[in-house]
Amino acid sequence: MKHVFVFDPDRCCACSACMIGCMDQNDIDVDAGEACYRKTFDNEIELADGGVYCAYLSAACMHCTDAPCIDACPVGCLSKDPETGFTVYDNTNCIGCKSCAMACPFGAPRYRKSDGKMVKCDGCNERVKNGLQPACVRACSFGALTCVTEEEYQASGSNKACSALIDQLHLRKK
Amino acid sequence: MKKYAIVGFGGAGYHAAKAIRERDPAGEIHVYSDTGFAPYNPMLTTYYVKGSLPYEALFPFGDLEHIAADLRLELHPNCPVTGLAGDSRTLRLSDGSEVPFDEVLISTGASAVMPPIPGLDLPGVIKMRTVDDAVGLKNLLDSGKVKDALVIGASWVGIKVVEDVVERNIPCTLVDGAPWIFYVAAFPSTAQRAQKDLEARGVTVSCNQMLDHIEADENGRLTAIMQSGSRFSADLVAVCIGVRTNTGFLKDSGLAQGRGITVDRRMATNCPHIYAAGDCCEAVDIQSGQHRNIGIWYNACKQGAVAGTNMAGGAAEFDANILCNLAHYLDYDFICLGDVSACTDSDQVYEYEDERYYIRAVRRGDAIVCINMIGSAGSNGLVRNLFIKSIENPHAKPDLSAVCQLQKNGFPDSFIHFLGGISID
Repeated sequence: MKHVFVFDPDRCCACSACMIGCMDQNDIDVDAGEACYRKTFDNEIELADGGVYCAYLSAACMHCTDAPCIDACPVGCLSKDPETGFTVYDNTNCIGCKSCAMACPFGAPRYRKSDGKMVKCDGCNERVKNGLQPACVRACSFGALTCVTEEEYQASGSNKACSALIDQLHLRKK
Repeated sequence: MKKYAIVGFGGAGYHAAKAIRERDPAGEIHVYSDTGFAPYNPMLTTYYVKGSLPYEALFPFGDLEHIAADLRLELHPNCPVTGLAGDSRTLRLSDGSEVPFDEVLISTGASAVMPPIPGLDLPGVIKMRTVDDAVGLKNLLDSGKVKDALVIGASWVGIKVVEDVVERNIPCTLVDGAPWIFYVAAFPSTAQRAQKDLEARGVTVSCNQMLDHIEADENGRLTAIMQSGSRFSADLVAVCIGVRTNTGFLKDSGLAQGRGITVDRRMATNCPHIYAAGDCCEAVDIQSGQHRNIGIWYNACKQGAVAGTNMAGGAAEFDANILCNLAHYLDYDFICLGDVSACTDSDQVYEYEDERYYIRAVRRGDAIVCINMIGSAGSNGLVRNLFIKSIENPHAKPDLSAVCQLQKNGFPDSFIHFLGGISID
């Protein structure tokens, strides 16, 4: 059953609780310079008319249906989990060539300097397989970030999902 | 029941076989290869030499037996195809026999160029493309007999051989016939910075050096003599001056060819039911609209899948052919997006440098022509995507998410404006 992350920017205040949940779940050593798989943004963006737009966002791997990182990996580290639909990886043979990062339109794969390998959000695949929510979703107090099955997403009729963002970014094949 | 032929079994051939089998469970798929190897990625050879991955990992889809069993393939290893009749889709094999097929894919890849220059066959002169090349260089370096090395060609492969040598603390010299390194992708100012970094790592770099011939003395020590008269001596000489498509056997086939086999977006050639994919073909470059041979692993895999889908009666197109060169070596990253050779003096130039990034980019009117970036590996996908979007729609602006990420990654607003400004929907 394919799962999708749904992000509602109207509910996000960039409190970064999702990032903390991700760091905790994935044992990310921030002090050692490791980057969290999920990132939040509270950017103030100057507009052409002189105004300021306050952007609150939370972003990680979008788990694209036809994920370009999978074909880009020369060693075959990345794959789709048939059960959850998440883009998962085994970086045992990762050579740190960063081809996956170059293929990803969202900048999701990160280079981990400590071992020279690439890492990324795997959707908390094991948690989801065991009936739990991804750590970032569980940590979000405002309901800005949710994870639902594709069927639930379709039934919701929401236009505030990852796939809507993909449309917004003009990434969907016509 | 359809009968398919796949000639050449690398990333493109494998993905074609997979796509065919997904759509045609009963079809006969014959795979011809001039080796007995499972599909392997030439890019991995230098990583194997470096010790970054074990021998088995050179073959990302597993061993040949399992692949053949999974996809139910009729394998013909060590069976070179010597000719093709384009009108009848008939393969000619090295034993003289001829075999007709319903659908044919040519996915024979490319080989390292070794021009007819005296001395290139001497012991200690190597190239780097195949599994055998990698095993040979690793054994040579492991033997401890190589005290210094010369790499001819500041190409994507050449720089990785430099890395293999330098990481073993072996003195290395890099020479190139062009005026600056990474000539086909780098602006002079980008190359200058990359060269400075290499020199800081102890690599001697010399440009404008065209090889004339190579000599060996009585002890086997090699000397490369350049057309300029310069001489470079070393125990090992790696010749990394580019690749050439493996299409010689198609001379009388009737297939249209440039530097490779010309294909459309469906990976179809000018001969019905004959397709080509991977490093041996020239697909449509979405930036220039011209056919261009862009040999990268991602293209090979996607093109193979597209060809296989169409061969089995589906409908698919490959629309991601774009010049994109990524060099990652000795903790240094350099990427080129677009065609540096298309830039002219009248184009608008953007340049930025701080302690983290160097960026030089060129725009002509609404269109971004080329972007060079050093140190940007974590953001390369974002910028590449924005570049592709700008080709599809020159008035497209970076979306909010991309802007936020670029800002957080330390890119200046001036670069974001160069990329088109900010779109807030």
